[in-house]
Amino acid sequence: MKTLDDLKRFYETILAADLNVLENRRRAILRKLTCIGAGIAILAVIFLLASGLASGSFLPAMMAPVVIAVVIFAFVAHLLNKGYVIEFKSAIIYKIVRFIDENLSYYPDRRIPRSTFMASEIFKTRPNRYKGDDYVAGKVGATQIEFSELHAVYESGTGKNKSRRTVFKGLFFNADFNKHFTCRVVVLPDTAEKLFGGFGKILQSWNLTRDRLIKLEDPEFEHHFAVYGNDQIQARYILSTSLMARIVDFKQKTNRKIYLSFVGSRVFVAVSYTRNLFEPRLFRTILNFELVREYFEDLQLAIGIVDDLNLNTRIWSKQ
Amino acid sequence: MPILIVVIAVVILIPILIYNSLIARKNQVLNVFATIDAMLKKRYDLLPNLVATVRGYMRHERALLEEVTQMRADALSDRISDDEKVDLDNKVTKVLGRIMLAVENYPDLKASDNFMHLQRTLTELEEQISAARRAYNAAVTDYNNAVEMFPTNIVASMMNYKRRMFFEISEKERESVDIAKNLHN
Repeated sequence: MKTLDDLKRFYETILAADLNVLENRRRAILRKLTCIGAGIAILAVIFLLASGLASGSFLPAMMAPVVIAVVIFAFVAHLLNKGYVIEFKSAIIYKIVRFIDENLSYYPDRRIPRSTFMASEIFKTRPNRYKGDDYVAGKVGATQIEFSELHAVYESGTGKNKSRRTVFKGLFFNADFNKHFTCRVVVLPDTAEKLFGGFGKILQSWNLTRDRLIKLEDPEFEHHFAVYGNDQIQARYILSTSLMARIVDFKQKTNRKIYLSFVGSRVFVAVSYTRNLFEPRLFRTILNFELVREYFEDLQLAIGIVDDLNLNTRIWSKQ
Repeated sequence: MPILIVVIAVVILIPILIYNSLIARKNQVLNVFATIDAMLKKRYDLLPNLVATVRGYMRHERALLEEVTQMRADALSDRISDDEKVDLDNKVTKVLGRIMLAVENYPDLKASDNFMHLQRTLTELEEQISAARRAYNAAVTDYNNAVEMFPTNIVASMMNYKRRMFFEISEKERESVDIAKNLHN
């Protein structure tokens, strides 16, 4: 397990040089953007004046050049930033991933496929807008893992009735579980019981979209989560008393909404985030240890799940 | 008039629902107990393998091995009651723990593929049995709540349903997995 001191040394000896190169690149892009932005603005003003003078009235003619100018600027900014983002991720994020564990591979533009996302059975709604990046995969000890950032949205209706609902946004992790099992267990954040206490439990047991509610004996675990599964005994075989305690610790450590599921001998963990992860910033300097520390902690959170859930303990028949 | 029909329907319906829910809870308890039984049988099936594997190495623990063989014979006989089954199961768990500890003195045995495979299977079974016991206790809690809480307790006493005992999950048992872990390290 790498510590913050290790990271500081790594930052000073290796990352700082790369970040310097990228910082120059970032400034160059900003300069370019300022020039292009000024150019487009001047053109827009000229066009605006010309069309305004020709028609004698400014109001209706005003909109078109402004809108076109903004669209062109956004497009150019996107193109310039895209190259920079890929360059940044391939240099910096890649190195932080390898710094945490040498056996892991990193692909900035790949993601966990939608089929895996649905196979986890954590989310019932099939997203029709599915995006993601920053895919990491490999073996941590004896455990095969993969994770990526995901943004899954369900859009319905058209025109004015169009509505968007975020199914999930955050880190989506899955790994080979250390025990054999054939059942399906889903562990969801417990909202009903927190709000309504004992009555919430009754509400949970009426959830028709899920399997049967499984009542476990750890009160703290039950306070945070609601568990659904199709096999009472195997669910307890998976969620041993020690694993329940570990999941509660993990929840408290991250202080985020977390979802877990155990399907097909694999464990899936979804950690909710509202911000975008592993993205470089364009308008502020990147020569900052705190920034690197944030990337490191987000990555460590996902990779550390193996230790947090004790997945490398292979004392059962599955090796 | 319609109100009267509704009232009568409810009065008839409530006892039926309570009756059925009590039966469902009782069956859930029986069902999980049957699963525990099946898992214990599976463990007893492994015992001859274990004895055969360790016999060649263990010179000083003959008595222990004979004890375990005898327990298996007792457990598989038809005359045994449910309570005796539970009791015997506890004893087997203890003796197995002692055998696993004794293995420490025989490094060749500890390293043999056959034994390692057996040990993993046993650890897995132990944990499955422990999970089944927890499931049994959860089912018994549900059942006992219904037997004692109002208004289900009225119907329960008419059906002569009594509180059921929990399975004791002793500290010793929880350790059984840890013993295996220590052996590996």
